[in-house]
Amino acid sequence: VIRRAAALVLLLAAALLVACGGGDDGPSGEPTSEPKGPVIRLGTKNFSEQFILGELYRQALVAKGFRVDLKEDVGSTEIIDAALTIGKLDMYPEYVGVLLSEIAGQKRRPRSAREAYTRAQRFVRSRDQRLLDATPFSNSNALAVKPATARRLGLRSVGDLDDAPGRVEIAAPPEFRTRFEGLLGLRELYGLRNIDVVPTAIGEQYDALDDGLVDVAAVFTTDGQLNAGTYELLDDEKGLFSYQNVAPVVSRKMLDAAPGLADALDAVSAKLTTRAMQAMNAAVDLRGDRPAAVARRFLREHGLV
Amino acid sequence: MLKKEPKWLEAGGSGTVRRTLKRSITARTLVVGIALAALFGAVFLVLVLAIQQQRQAGRLALRSQEAITAGTDLEKSLINMENGLRGYVASGRERLLEPFDAGRRAYPRQVTVLTRLVADEPSQQAAVRRIASDIDDYVALWALPLVQLAGERLPSARSVIATGTGRRRLDALRAQFADLFVRERAVARERELRAEQRSDVAVGIGVAGVALVVLLAIGMWQYLRRAILRPVGVVAGAAEAVAAGDLSVRVPAAREDELGSLARSFNAMTASLERSQAELRRRTAELERSNAELEQYAQMASHDLQAPLATISMYVELLRRRAAESGDEQAAELLGGIHASSGWMRSLIRDLLHLSRVGRGELERETLDTNELLGQVLDNLAGPIRDRGAEIVAGSLPAVQGDGRQLAQVFQNLIGNAIKFSDEEHPHVTVEGVVEGDVVAFLVRDNGIGIDPAQIERIFRPFERLHGEARYEGTGVGLAICRRIVEHHGGEISAEGRPGVGSTFRFTVPRAPGPAAIERPPAPQATMAQ
Repeated sequence: VIRRAAALVLLLAAALLVACGGGDDGPSGEPTSEPKGPVIRLGTKNFSEQFILGELYRQALVAKGFRVDLKEDVGSTEIIDAALTIGKLDMYPEYVGVLLSEIAGQKRRPRSAREAYTRAQRFVRSRDQRLLDATPFSNSNALAVKPATARRLGLRSVGDLDDAPGRVEIAAPPEFRTRFEGLLGLRELYGLRNIDVVPTAIGEQYDALDDGLVDVAAVFTTDGQLNAGTYELLDDEKGLFSYQNVAPVVSRKMLDAAPGLADALDAVSAKLTTRAMQAMNAAVDLRGDRPAAVARRFLREHGLV
Repeated sequence: MLKKEPKWLEAGGSGTVRRTLKRSITARTLVVGIALAALFGAVFLVLVLAIQQQRQAGRLALRSQEAITAGTDLEKSLINMENGLRGYVASGRERLLEPFDAGRRAYPRQVTVLTRLVADEPSQQAAVRRIASDIDDYVALWALPLVQLAGERLPSARSVIATGTGRRRLDALRAQFADLFVRERAVARERELRAEQRSDVAVGIGVAGVALVVLLAIGMWQYLRRAILRPVGVVAGAAEAVAAGDLSVRVPAAREDELGSLARSFNAMTASLERSQAELRRRTAELERSNAELEQYAQMASHDLQAPLATISMYVELLRRRAAESGDEQAAELLGGIHASSGWMRSLIRDLLHLSRVGRGELERETLDTNELLGQVLDNLAGPIRDRGAEIVAGSLPAVQGDGRQLAQVFQNLIGNAIKFSDEEHPHVTVEGVVEGDVVAFLVRDNGIGIDPAQIERIFRPFERLHGEARYEGTGVGLAICRRIVEHHGGEISAEGRPGVGSTFRFTVPRAPGPAAIERPPAPQATMAQ
């Protein structure tokens, strides 16, 4: 009986050793083209640029042999961040400035892109997440007006809105009202009290401007619509709309579980210049191309797939 | 005649046997019966299948309804979740989240139920899978993050609701549900339609099948009537004709089945009967002819013998007289003996001639008054009656039908015998006649010497004599003649008696036609005594 028990213990020990050895081998193993490992749940926010970014990251990861479940149009920063935090997503592309002001709630404006990134990284690390490399492009928030309106109201900068007669209606996504890089910042930083927000879906602010429903629209600086010169952006002289380079926020758990994930994503982010992003946005918003097709074209051109 | 058939079969060989089998009524009846049974079975089977399919289609249609109900339940859970979520975010009160939690707990099971109910339609199953996946996303990527956000920053959560993301998700899901229901209703309609069609088909098959079976049954009955009952009727009619005596009938025998063989056997039978009847007739005629010839010979011989005998007798008598006149006593005595013997021989020949005459040729049948007949007989016998002092007693006798001369001969022989064979001083003879059905039985009773019962058969044979010639004269032909006459009349004759006591002769003769009133009681007795 004793001998049999000893044999059993030996056997168990051997099995344990083998299991540990296997675990050590995992991280050093090369990712193959065959889909394996955990399914990466990649979320995107609710506008075209995010759809393009989602497809860029997804296709690049799939090409590297990762398994990706792309969840498009999850919602605004607030909701997609909550989804990531409660573990329903593994990653999503976020704007560094939005992360700082809206998620971390930091009202102190960063003085440089680098400072913004460092502070954002510090914040997400506190939540067991990691910020991967940021893109070269920055898609800042901005306030756009039609040139005629600017002339009529004498608008050059954000601060000039204070002198506009009556109330100023700004077409913006609904969350603009509760964001610091939105109505809150305009009130606190610029002391504007005559601002009303007209909630519109993202992308439709331009229609609201064109139709004369509003005087001002909250836009993104990489919007394809801004290429044509039919709109003017108001100067943000107090730096409310800060550095909005994109960086994937990834849960640390997924980074550990999917080795090589960070490198694959960083390789894509590094190629995303402002020009490239604007061109892709224009292709989707103005020409009506599908985000997946636009992303595939870009990745091919840059040898990422 | 039946033996002929196997030979015919052998000659035809196996091909004939097979053809006979194919054509035989047994085989045909069997084939039709089996076909009828098979058809009935097939109709029944098809009917059962059709009903089963109809039931299956009905079940599927019902399942579609159940799927729509289950889908509606699932959609309700979804709407409950969204309503709870909105109520919570709008008020900030966690109590209002209850519908959300309830919906979240309920929906996975509802998805399972729905998936099972649409399992028959792959496209619907895919749609349900899509819906389930979208609800999962709705919960994981919208509802739960929103609850989380609302717990931290309620205003932000409210602005997020205003972005319409949740509304869009919900609307997209509800559109999917609507689509699912529309398609499921179409499926249900299609299934109901199919069920109705199946049902119509089942009813049609049932009606057509029953009609077909009934038609076939009628056809079979007609066939049996035509193929069996009619030919059998023809044969039966022919058999009746044969029974009535017409052996020339034949029935058509062209068929090659059992009825054909019956007809052939029948025809063979009648032909055989006809042949044997003809043969019988021929033999009878031949026999009658040879009989007649024989009797003619006998008659001619007796007749022709009589004349030389009469001549011999006459010459012998002449010789005897001369011898007696010349005094040659011895020669006269010898010649007297020759004369007596030739006389005896003449009476033998006469009786033989008589015997051969009676019982030949057609009888003259006429109604006879037997009393009158008996009167004539007694007149004829008046000599012996007077000589012997005999007493003849006769009652009233029933009328008969027959040949008067011959029947008078019978009475005369019997009564004559009764008087002759008696040693009494006064022989006593009674004659009675009794109607017995269609005949009249006559009894002639005497108190004579009687008969030894062991000898009774002998007395009716010709030329048989029980007693010596010397004691009672006669050739011994009388009773043989009586028997011939009675039998020729279709009656019979018998005798009984005891030696020394007397004898009784009984014979029957056909009764005279007409009412039995002719029969008269024998009470009043006519006594004839001379």
